[in-house]
Amino acid sequence: MVSRWMYTSLVILYCFLLGPFVIIFMASFGANATMAFPPQGFTLDWFANVFETSQFIDSFWISLQLALLSTIVSLIMGMPVAYALVRFQFTGSGLVETVFSAPILVPGLVIGFAMLNFFVLLGDMQVMTGLFIGHTAILFPYSVRVISASLRNLDPYVEDAAVSLGARRLRGFLLVVLPNMQAGIAAAFVLGFITSFNNVPVSLFLSGPGVTTLPVSMLSYLEYYFDPTIAALSTLLVAFTVVLVQSAERLLGLSQFV
Amino acid sequence: MSRRPNQTRTIVLLVSPAFIFVLVFFVLPLMFLLSQSVLPADGGFTLTGYVDFFQSRVSRIVYLRTLRLGLIVTGICVLMSYPAAFVLARMPARRRSFLMSLVILPLMTNAVARTFAWLIILGRRGMVNQTLLSLELVENPVRFIFTETAIVLGLTQLFLPLMVLPLVSAMENIPDDVLEAARSLGANRLITFARIVVPLSSDGLVLGATLVFTGSVTAFVTPAILGGSRLLLMSTLLRQEAVILFDQQAAAVVAVVMISTTLAVNLLLRFLRVRQV
Repeated sequence: MVSRWMYTSLVILYCFLLGPFVIIFMASFGANATMAFPPQGFTLDWFANVFETSQFIDSFWISLQLALLSTIVSLIMGMPVAYALVRFQFTGSGLVETVFSAPILVPGLVIGFAMLNFFVLLGDMQVMTGLFIGHTAILFPYSVRVISASLRNLDPYVEDAAVSLGARRLRGFLLVVLPNMQAGIAAAFVLGFITSFNNVPVSLFLSGPGVTTLPVSMLSYLEYYFDPTIAALSTLLVAFTVVLVQSAERLLGLSQFV
Repeated sequence: MSRRPNQTRTIVLLVSPAFIFVLVFFVLPLMFLLSQSVLPADGGFTLTGYVDFFQSRVSRIVYLRTLRLGLIVTGICVLMSYPAAFVLARMPARRRSFLMSLVILPLMTNAVARTFAWLIILGRRGMVNQTLLSLELVENPVRFIFTETAIVLGLTQLFLPLMVLPLVSAMENIPDDVLEAARSLGANRLITFARIVVPLSSDGLVLGATLVFTGSVTAFVTPAILGGSRLLLMSTLLRQEAVILFDQQAAAVVAVVMISTTLAVNLLLRFLRVRQV
């Protein structure tokens, strides 16, 4: 059934998916500042330039804090929702599911714009708080979905056994359910972290003076400079992602949750 | 699971923190945005924002361009993914999981980094132009950036994984026996593909198309870098209205049109999926 032209299409697909990464990688070592291709010479200057550009360093720390905080909060609040949806049948569960998948249906740019108008401009909210709220909201769909999937794989009788043996529900959850969901939670964490860390649309409007996320500062750098610094930074980020994703895939089978 | 008298209380306790969070921090700002689009600063109620939007040549062109490019990108993604997804779905599990992790990789890298590559490929002194110049096919560098082609290429690369993933998982569920039965009953490859594989994977196709289309019509980074202010899409138009022209009502109208479009497409395709079952 699988014929040669189908393999050809597979090769084309992968060239198209991964080719740009090869080009970024090559460009980040090129000595030529004008980004002519193929690059001439070899230099590590652009990597040095990444670390000397305070705009990138500052925004990296902000993105890191933001991603960690919003992922953790969305998990802590999303986990009980997933538990309720999987373990109980109740009227309104459809509504709950819709509400928690809504942030994925609304364009990120619109979310950021609406939050800017309402919280920052009207409510005088701190920029960082606005970013945190926006990122937490867009992570709920992922947390709820991934945790639900991992709960469904867990036999409910295990938990019922704990309860019938005298453990209270909360204790049964903490001692029996939670340890069995480690992989699902870790997968949700990696997915949430990456989603927040890479997000541009939600952060774009919510970034304020002095508080900018890394992808947004990369975008604004591009408006003024066109040199291989962005390529070098992208290479670093891709390397970071490859390590993170490959280890998550090895350990947890990330692709089944995406 | 046995029903317990305090089950309702438990459910409310479990769901309400996150539910209230989403209502207050997500639904409320969107309601405010909706009101901004119909309530001008000087009071009253007006639909002039929407009338202006659909009467203005510029915004109409931008809206139609956004939809058109979204359709083109979705179409290209389907054509590129369908046969490849079939090969992936028929592979031994180990090799497949390695190749699938390569499909996910681009999805996990930020859009600025991924779009930047297209500047190197399509730029004035980029790969394509250097090749064309050295082959003496052109005398001067061709402008590729700030064209629809550039945006389509960038968006296709960005959203291909969202088509491949659901297609592969739908095709994995097609049993080998079914394909063999079709072949042994005399169907050739093309007919087997068209009559067996396509209908049995249509769920994945519809889901992938929804994701790619809504992603394309709302993406910001790619049109911002590859289209700029010369070739606006809805997302870059929204940004322009809000940040450069400071027209909050017009920006709110653009935002509401964007949401309505993605919601309509999602509902339509969900309806299609339900009807098939």
